[in-house]
Amino acid sequence: MVIAAPILMDTPPSAPAKSSAEKPSVRPMPSFVPSAAGPGASTAPIGKTLVDISHLDFFYNTSQALHDINLKIEAKNVTAFIGPSGCGKSTLLRCLNRMNDLIDGTRVARGTIKIHGVDIYQPDVDVIELRKRVGMVFQKSNPFPKSIYENITFGLRLQGMNDSAKLDEIVEKSLRGAALWDEVKDRLGASGLGLSGGQQQRLCIARAIAVEPEVILMDEPCSALDPVATAKVEELIQELRSRFTIIIVTHNMQQAARCSDKTAFFYLGKLIEFADTRDIFTKPANAQTEAYVSGRFG
Amino acid sequence: MSAPAAHLFQSQPNAARRSERATFWVFRAATYLVLACGLGVFGTIFFKGAGTVFKAEAPFINTTFFTEAPESLYIFEFEGKKHEMGDREFRAFKEKYPAAAKVKSESYVYSAGGIFPCIVGTVLLVIGSMTIALVLGVCAAIYLNEYARDGMFIRFVRLAILNLAGVPSIVFGLFGFGMFVISFGWHVSLLAGWFTLAFMVLPVVITASEESLKAVPKGFREGSLALGATKWQTIRLNVVPYALPGILTSSILGIARVAGETAPIMFTAAYVVRDKLPWDVDKAGDFFLQGVMALPYHIYVVSSKIPQNEYTERVQYGTAFVFLLVVALIAASSIILRNKLRSRYKW
Amino acid sequence: MSEPTTIAAPAAPAGFAIQKKRLRLLGLTVDDTIKAFFGGNAVVAIVVLTLITFFLMQEGLGFFAQNRQSLQVYRQAGLEYVDFIRTEVDDHTALTRYLSDLRLRQLTALTEGRKLSLDEANAALANFDKFSDTFSSTVDPVRSLLSDLTEQATAIKTKFIVTGDKKEERAQLLAEGKTAEAAAVKIEETDFAAELKPLLATLPAFKEANREFSRALTASLEGAPVPPTPELVARMERLKQLTRDYLARLPSVERSLETWDYTLPIPAWKTVSSFVFGRQWLTASFWQDWYGVIPLFIGSLMVSIVALTLAVPLGVGAAIYINQIASLREQRVIKPCIEFISAIPSVVLGFFGIAVLGQALRALSQFSWLSWVPGFPYSERLNILTAGCLLALIAVPTIFTLAEDALNNVPRALKEASFALGASRLQTIVRIIVPASLSGIISAVLLGLGRVVGETMVVLLCAGNRIAIPDFTDGLSVVTQPVHTMTGIIAQEMGEVVRGSIHYRALFVVGLVLFVLSLIINYAAQKIVRKYRISIG
Repeated sequence: MVIAAPILMDTPPSAPAKSSAEKPSVRPMPSFVPSAAGPGASTAPIGKTLVDISHLDFFYNTSQALHDINLKIEAKNVTAFIGPSGCGKSTLLRCLNRMNDLIDGTRVARGTIKIHGVDIYQPDVDVIELRKRVGMVFQKSNPFPKSIYENITFGLRLQGMNDSAKLDEIVEKSLRGAALWDEVKDRLGASGLGLSGGQQQRLCIARAIAVEPEVILMDEPCSALDPVATAKVEELIQELRSRFTIIIVTHNMQQAARCSDKTAFFYLGKLIEFADTRDIFTKPANAQTEAYVSGRFG
Repeated sequence: MSAPAAHLFQSQPNAARRSERATFWVFRAATYLVLACGLGVFGTIFFKGAGTVFKAEAPFINTTFFTEAPESLYIFEFEGKKHEMGDREFRAFKEKYPAAAKVKSESYVYSAGGIFPCIVGTVLLVIGSMTIALVLGVCAAIYLNEYARDGMFIRFVRLAILNLAGVPSIVFGLFGFGMFVISFGWHVSLLAGWFTLAFMVLPVVITASEESLKAVPKGFREGSLALGATKWQTIRLNVVPYALPGILTSSILGIARVAGETAPIMFTAAYVVRDKLPWDVDKAGDFFLQGVMALPYHIYVVSSKIPQNEYTERVQYGTAFVFLLVVALIAASSIILRNKLRSRYKW
Repeated sequence: MSEPTTIAAPAAPAGFAIQKKRLRLLGLTVDDTIKAFFGGNAVVAIVVLTLITFFLMQEGLGFFAQNRQSLQVYRQAGLEYVDFIRTEVDDHTALTRYLSDLRLRQLTALTEGRKLSLDEANAALANFDKFSDTFSSTVDPVRSLLSDLTEQATAIKTKFIVTGDKKEERAQLLAEGKTAEAAAVKIEETDFAAELKPLLATLPAFKEANREFSRALTASLEGAPVPPTPELVARMERLKQLTRDYLARLPSVERSLETWDYTLPIPAWKTVSSFVFGRQWLTASFWQDWYGVIPLFIGSLMVSIVALTLAVPLGVGAAIYINQIASLREQRVIKPCIEFISAIPSVVLGFFGIAVLGQALRALSQFSWLSWVPGFPYSERLNILTAGCLLALIAVPTIFTLAEDALNNVPRALKEASFALGASRLQTIVRIIVPASLSGIISAVLLGLGRVVGETMVVLLCAGNRIAIPDFTDGLSVVTQPVHTMTGIIAQEMGEVVRGSIHYRALFVVGLVLFVLSLIINYAAQKIVRKYRISIG
């Protein structure tokens, strides 16, 4: 809360959504995280369209969860998905790294999702590679019942990295990146389950950034946290925006307002409005959006 | 019949209340009757069997009973004294006192010596069949819980597992006899017994394993997959290790079942009596193709094929005692471990 | 919208290579292969079930062909013909048995009713004994004829079987290439027509004997003395009536003999019906083996009924007590204890039955103050009751655990709603909880039944192993009779039969019956549970 207000204030007025892609936005928050020269980080300049969703229809068995979604998400920006429960925002998020594949009876009936211009639903796409590039943080923090150190290195070890000096370095970097280093540096061998809820969630974020993804999907990362822990995570998101493209699903409109550059409002499986966060909250174009952000329903 | 109520809600004894209490007592009686019956069986066998298994003097345990093979028991009178001897002892005695060769003796088969070969046989049967059942069962459970998607095939598999669980053990025995003993030409052998028993406990192991896999939170899988792990990596590193304790404890119940069943091994693996111990084989391959003595079958033999009297009673109760003790320990440890595990793993 | 991303997917930027070729073996990636491996293990359940069916069928179905042939030989060798006469004689024996029962009752009436000494009573019955002797000896001419015919028919059958064995021997020699030896095996084809001729030629003699028998029997009834009490008089009248009925049936026996034709083929259904409805399981007999499953089935059924009669109230009662009434501490102690009972191996229970329970129950039955119980006192230590009691102990944990689960699944809200309306605990249990979980309880009982029907060792050791349909005429006291069961017969006889023989195959068919029965019970239980789930949801 404390830090939230200035962020919104400091965010420079962006151009309307349609043209914002060309326009590099100004980064108000100083990033004190040393930017890792990950493969993803270098390829997409700030503000360029990274994720391009077009005409997406999505089904759970016979019921349609998403209707004709068209959305362009920019690199190195924080994009928030808001909307009432069951509006399809989490579903869309899980489409982006194909976590929905794990649920029986789901299918993309129409449309494409392109990341870097590559349709991720193409048959020759390797889901495993995709998920390495598109990380995810879940609603309920889910550290593995392993040590903090092992939690962070899990993804790296999967990719065959065994150099312990390198691993140590990345663990520190990731934990610092997740603003957790100072709290856990003396007990890296302790179980990740022993941390508090907010720490667990930041551990999960650290775990996600350790593999240097390009996009980080956050599915209501703060819904199970108390306000103090929430503030810390939000702060963290601000720090990460310089290095990663972040898409966050949230229930909490203030959170969207505080953290995100752009906001998409969903209702009943449809994308109602997508614009700069400030515009959404101050002068929404759509009456439904206005009703929602002003708290009249949802 | 009662004093006027002091206030509106004062509880009043009435017919409904009395009948309720009486009914509850009937239910309680049913429960405790069941417990008493179970205790009666345990108690009788423990009490009578303890006489065979334990001794009054050190080392307090009847080692012969645990280390020797069953023998015939001879009872005879010689020079005015009554003797009870096992087969070998009797022969030695006759050599020492040639006159004894002519005495009239009563004899009871299997009533002297011990049950060592039966214990060995049962242990071998349990180890082999549980190994097979665990490998098959855990893998099947992994498929059902991790890979399978709902569909005709899976419904079919589940139906088969459910039905397999209800097939009587004697039918498994017949099946093992028809398939392994006859068709595969394994004869009465350890191998035939292993597979028969393994198939019998398969549903138990699959169900137990699936339950343990289900208890591993979804977040472990999603978290791992979202980090770019393959399905197999996820299962190997982030699911099975956490399910394994549960799988193993629940499978102990399977061990109790395997050790306790008689009908499936009657025609597939068990011999009434066998002089050689299982490791007395000419070549390694023969080890798997030999029949063994087994505790449950031995109990069947000694309780149905020899008369009941004071001489045979010792071995009957003794064997039953040892067997019951072993199975009870296995079952108890399974129940205790399961309860412990349930309280320990709360994710 | 800015840069029109090309529709044809371009080669991904170097940093974003999500298209990766994975190693493929036979068109499968490593992960697919692993999945297939696990799937293969899951299929094992289906495979085992199929194999069980297959092997039971493979070994069992041959039974019907063999049984048909056995029935064919039974007819061709004249055994069937002789059995018409045997039935006539046996029926007469049944009448004599009625007569001796009558004598016993008279003796009791005389010694107890009229306080005569035993000698006096026997003297008073001298008249009756004379009548009884005449009555039973009337059948002698027929009986002697029967024993001759039995020998003849057996001889024909033996001859046929020897021929069969020789054929087999020759076939075997031929298979081994020993042509000379094979030729040396002399085979004498059985000419049934010729062999049967002397047998059939006895028909006039039989008719003659039968007439004499009929006359003598009718005459003997004239000399029937009048028993001492009205009740016994009625019994004597009943005997006379039965005898008259019997006499009236005699001509029909003759007719059966006249029309009997050894060439008539045995229809195929007969071999099935002789198994399914056969009332005799008679093996290794010198005369004719019968494989009728009915006595075994009834045995299994009776034992199961007794077991469930005991186990259902106890199991369900305990489940209700533990789930609804007991304190938390009781729950924690008692539940594992009852589960523990299920771990007692059945062979130990069987041994307990032989060593302890059989005797204990018999001793109990001999107390005079318990003589009102049907069937008490009894003398057979091992019988339906003994086995049933032990099986109940096996079924109780199954029923208890499943029923308790079902009770547990009743939504708490239902219970609370009932309490909120002022219902007492008992009312809530009886009217709300039990009805809501009834289908779960029924399926628990069914699964308990499955356990009991399939149980082998207890019935093998404790059911008495007498292969006969128990006598139901005395009502409930039937439970004190010994029986044999389907599971018991397999366990007992499988070890002794010749592989491939008709007896061996018959045991497999019994196994098949058990298998099918267990599937049906299981299916019914699942069906009921599923229905229940829908009704709650």
